[in-house]
Formats: sequence, C-alpha cells, structure tokens
Amino acid sequence: MSTIAGGRAARRQTMRRIRPRRSPAIALLIAVWAGAAGVVWLWWSNTPSIADDKDRILNAGRITGLLAGYLMALVVLQMARVPALERRVGSDRVARWHAMSGRYVLCLVLAHIGLTMYGYALQANTGVVDQTIDSVNTLPDMGKAAIGTGLLLFIGLISVGGLRKRIPYDTWYHIHLLTYAAVYLSFWHQLSTGNDFAVQPTATTAWYVLYGTVTALVLWYRVFVPIRLNLRHGMRVEEVVEEAPGIVSVLISGKRLHRIGAEPGQFFRWRFLAPGMRLSSHPYSLSAAPRPGLLRITVKALGDHSTALKGLKRGTRVWAEGPYGALTASRRSRGKVLLMAGGVGITPMRALFETLPAARGDLTLLYRANSTQDLALWDELSAIADERGARLMYAVNSPDGERPDINPETLRQKLPDIDDHDVFLCGPPGFAQGAYTALRGAGVPARRIHHESFEL
Amino acid sequence: MKKNHPLRRIVLAGAATVSGIVLLLALKPASDPAASSADGVPQGQQSVAPQGSGGTQAADAAQAQTLTGDVVKTDYGNVQVRITVAGGKITSAAALQSPTGGRSTTVSTDAVPKLNKAAVTTGTADIDAVSGATYTSGGYKKSLQSALDKAGAPGGGSADTGGTGGTGGTGGTGGGSGSGDASGSGAGAAQAKTVTGKAVTTDYGPVQVRITVSGGKITKAEAVQSPSGGRSSQVTSDSVPKLNKAAVAAGSADIDAVSGATYTSGGYKESLQSALDQAGG
Repeated sequence: MSTIAGGRAARRQTMRRIRPRRSPAIALLIAVWAGAAGVVWLWWSNTPSIADDKDRILNAGRITGLLAGYLMALVVLQMARVPALERRVGSDRVARWHAMSGRYVLCLVLAHIGLTMYGYALQANTGVVDQTIDSVNTLPDMGKAAIGTGLLLFIGLISVGGLRKRIPYDTWYHIHLLTYAAVYLSFWHQLSTGNDFAVQPTATTAWYVLYGTVTALVLWYRVFVPIRLNLRHGMRVEEVVEEAPGIVSVLISGKRLHRIGAEPGQFFRWRFLAPGMRLSSHPYSLSAAPRPGLLRITVKALGDHSTALKGLKRGTRVWAEGPYGALTASRRSRGKVLLMAGGVGITPMRALFETLPAARGDLTLLYRANSTQDLALWDELSAIADERGARLMYAVNSPDGERPDINPETLRQKLPDIDDHDVFLCGPPGFAQGAYTALRGAGVPARRIHHESFEL
Repeated sequence: MKKNHPLRRIVLAGAATVSGIVLLLALKPASDPAASSADGVPQGQQSVAPQGSGGTQAADAAQAQTLTGDVVKTDYGNVQVRITVAGGKITSAAALQSPTGGRSTTVSTDAVPKLNKAAVTTGTADIDAVSGATYTSGGYKKSLQSALDKAGAPGGGSADTGGTGGTGGTGGTGGGSGSGDASGSGAGAAQAKTVTGKAVTTDYGPVQVRITVSGGKITKAEAVQSPSGGRSSQVTSDSVPKLNKAAVAAGSADIDAVSGATYTSGGYKESLQSALDQAGG
C-alpha cells in the first residue's frame, strides 16, 4: 500500500494560491432564462392577434411546444458531460437539474399535444381523437414525432420513483439512452409544422444552431473524449485489496496516469471489461491522488456491481470516463479546512486529506463510521495526519449501537473556530443532511459547506 | 443541501407556467390592428397576414371558418394551404408548407405571398401560376381546391368572384407579374381610377404603391412591391397594411412612418406621392 501514499507530484498540483472559483451556475441559469425569453419573444412577434378561445388554445399549444423544443435541447446538454458543468457546477447538481427539467419538459410536451390537438379539433369541428389521427397521418414529420413522443413517455414512465427502483440500474440506463432517438424524431416536426419557423427563417437557423451545438457537444464529450482518454492511458486492474469488511480498493495501472487531469476529490465513471460487468458503468471516487502509473478507487459493496469488484482479476481492461466532480481544492476560500466523511464517503476525503494545501494544524478530518472496524484506510490516514500535522478524529457508534451525536455544540467543542473553516462533506444522505444542519448551527455559512450528493 | 420540497416545487413550476401563458395570451389584442384594413377598401384585396390563423379576420364575420387543404407533393417539396372563409368568401389564405431549402426558399418567399393574394382576390382555385414557380403554383392550386372542397363551396367560390370585384382574375395576374395595371378592383364607382406610383428603391428592396382614387379620395392603397426575404418579409407584412390604411385615412402622402420599418415607410411615401402626382391631385 505504500505505493499509493505520499503523492508529492499531486500535492504540488493542488498547491496553488487559495482563490475560490465561483460556480458558473448563476450565469448559466441567467442564460437559460434569456433563451426562454427569446423563445417567447419569437411567438410574440409572430402572433398579431388572438380572437377567440380556439386561438387561445392553439397559441397556448404553440408556446408550450416552443418552450418544450428549447428545453429539450438543454436537458440533453445537461448530460453531455461538459467539463464546465461536471467539474465546476458539480455532477450531482447537474444530474438533479437534468431530472427536474426532464420532468418539466415531459409536462410541456403533453400540454403542447393536448392543446394543439384540441384547438385543431375545435377549428375543424371534429373530435380530438380523429383530429390527432388525422394530424399524425397528414401533417409533415408528425409520424416521426408521434413515435418520438411515445418513446419519451415510456422513458418518463420508467423514471418515475416507484418503478425505477424495481428496474436494475443498467437496464434503466440503457432504456434512458433512447431519449436521443426520441429527441431526433420529434425535432423535425418542429420545423416543418411550427408556424414560427415557417414565417421566420432566422428562427429555423437558431433552432439548427441550438440542436447542432448540443449534438456536437454530446459527440465530443461523451464519445470522442473518452475514446481518446482510454487509448492514451490503457488502464488495467493491478490489484484488489480489502480495506475493511465490505470495502475494497481497486488499484488501476496505466500509462502516464498523473497526466489524466484528475484532481483529488474527483471521480470517474468506471467500466470493467470483465464478464458480466461490461455493460455497467459506475461512478467511484479516487481514494488517492493519481500517481504516474497508478490510480486507486475505494468502493463499498452496496449493490451487485460493487460486490462483484472483489472478484476482479489482475489485468482486466478498464474503461474510464472523467474526471468529473466539483468537490476539489478549488472550492475552498479559507486557510482552515474541515473534512467530514461518513462511511465510504471517506474516499474523496482521503485524497483531499493528503493533498489539500494547509499549514500544520489547519487541516482536520472527522471520520464517521459504524464501528472502529469499519474505519477503512485508517492506517493511511494516521500516517498522513502525522506527516502533515493534521488532526484526525473519528466518531463511531457506542458498543450498544447508539449513534454519536453530531450537533453544533460537539462540533464547536472539538473546533472552537469552526465558523472560520471551509467544510468538505461526503457521505450517505442521512449523514450528510445531519452534518449540514449541525454545521449551519455551529455558524458555518452555507457557501463554505461543500458537498456532493447523488440523490435525485 | 437546502431542504427539498418536491411537491412545493411542482406546484410552483406548474402555477408559474400556466399563469405565464395565460398572461401572454391575455396581452395579445383580440383583432390584428394591421390586418383590419381601411374602411373604404373592398375586402377582397387585403394583404394576407402570413399566419392565416383563424382569428385574424374572424372579427368581420362571426361564422368565419378556417380550413386546411391537403398536402400536395411537388418535385420541390410539399405545399399545403390554409384558408379562412367568411360569408362565402376567402378572407385570407396562407401556405402552411411550401418548398424550402436553397433556391426553393427564395422562390417560395416570392411566390407564396402572390398566390395568397390571388386566392383571396379570385375567391377560387382558378388562379394564375406565378412565373418561375410553376410547381409551387400547381401544388398551391390543388391544395387550395381541396380546402375549398372542404368548405363545401366548390362552385360557390366562383360565384363569389363577381361579388368580390368585376375583374378579379385580372387582379390576380397583376399581383403575379408585379406590374401595375389599372383594374377597377371592386371600388364600385365608374370614375374610379387606379394609378401606380414609381418604384422606389430602398436599402432593403424596391417599394411600389398602387392606389385607387375615386371622387378625389384615395379609396384603396396597396403595395405592389415591397422588401421581402428574411426579416424583411416580416417587417413588410407588419408595416405595409398599416401604411395602406394610413394612406387611405390621410388621403395624402403625408403619413407617419411605421416604427421599425423606416426605410419601407420612406419608400412607400415617395411612391405614394408619385402616384398622387399622376392622378393629378
């Protein structure tokens, strides 16, 4: 294990001046709203008047349709793995945006279909169903759009909470990829039947630019960049080590891995090309800073995939995508740092503990686990603490199973100047929520609590 | 890690979207100020709003009906026409689909407004093809006929021609070729005189105005030529009806420029003045 500790090169990499980088989230949200305003303006400028209810319904259908078309592109963009989103806004936050806006778009699509078909039916004095069948058959590109909508509804259905939990993640993920087909199929009817695109060629151009950009970004960051990364580094499994009951580390060898661009605290999406594991790709954090020939991930056996990692053979090819994640040294704004890890959340904290630039005594790691047995990587952590003059504390359940109380008072007792710290937080949702509340109670401002949580 | 309130978020997003859309719809006027052209103008000759949405002309006849014709495939692409019929007459016609891409876009931009106009003028599918756009014209006529068939007035349409204007057919030709021929397009008065002003070139394209003068008054004004293509088409469709109306209302070339269409307005006024000069008053 001595091979992975003490990565001096990596520490130097993060040893820059403390200059917190603002997340571009606000700027991006403003851009998204400006785009939406532009879309509404497009409708506004192309609509001279609205005379009666039929018109009102049809125009409501047009507005929802335009907004759905616009947002659809953004929903896809959110999953294009653009570095600015993954590394600066944070993969977890972007994933939540994606889920939220995806649901919203689906609602807009349904409203658009309902309103438009009802409006046409009123105009033609026919039934809504007849009108829908007629429109799908006669209007250009509507057949494709109908198939695309069907796919979208199906994808939306299997993403609904209760149903999603019953489907294996990999199955769900691969069905979810059908969204690309659905978006492609429903794209064309927007241009050929949309009033606003028929009247205004500039609008058509803008739509092509929007969807073209998104397509290019998806191809670049989801296809080309990973292929280049894996060809360059040619990663293979080097060794699998059991760190604690149910927690294993996988050491991965490859070429020039210190040039892979990963900062401590980040993660990759890993795919192990072993039988039965080829189809699944999972996000695991690096538990140590990258070394020239070695990466390490540490994983707790929670699901099928993480359990199967134990049986990995040396030499198994590894396909990685990344690095992703915004929980890095660039988030801090103060000299003093508190790292809080719950269970296997220790992995990114372990990498940060080793590399975060800090004066002796300015760095503290608080490690929460069920029992002392479960404190994975403890020996390494103690060695780092000794070498760096950092504080290392742990909190475990008492022998009768009682949970330690992490509250504002205990935190202040341990760290009297806690409100002058940056706090990095990683762990299971319950732990993270409790710790967050306690930290806020102890006077740490929200902007200095940095955490990642992958709950949608 | 702010507290999540999924239900509150859903309710908020839904309410915000619905009220936003309702607000937008409520802010739109009930009738198009540009499309309800001057009072003295026979209704057949209005320039057609590109949307042709049912409500545009619905104000003048409660029983206005919007009908969409069949999709007609041509060698260059699909053509589909939507018309609004009120009181047995076509009050507006618009192409939902027309050939696009490359040269086709240019041809469509040029031909479709002319065909729309001709359809309204003649009231039937018996309109002349626009030269240089034979396929599009053919498809347009077929789709228009199918829309008229749906209106249940295949023959009634031609009967209306008389009502619209004695020489409606000629008017259609005039629109197509763009030359300013004098036709008494339904002004009714025997001494009505149609005069075409000179073509004035602006930065965005030529503008040419044709007026009908009767009893010393301008009873009708229309633009024979106006800038088209891209943004210009939109500016034109917005501003020209307003200018036409203003010309009839003012009875002179002393009309206000339409904001956002300064060049078109300038050319319009100049051409209008030249037409008034020709009319001798």
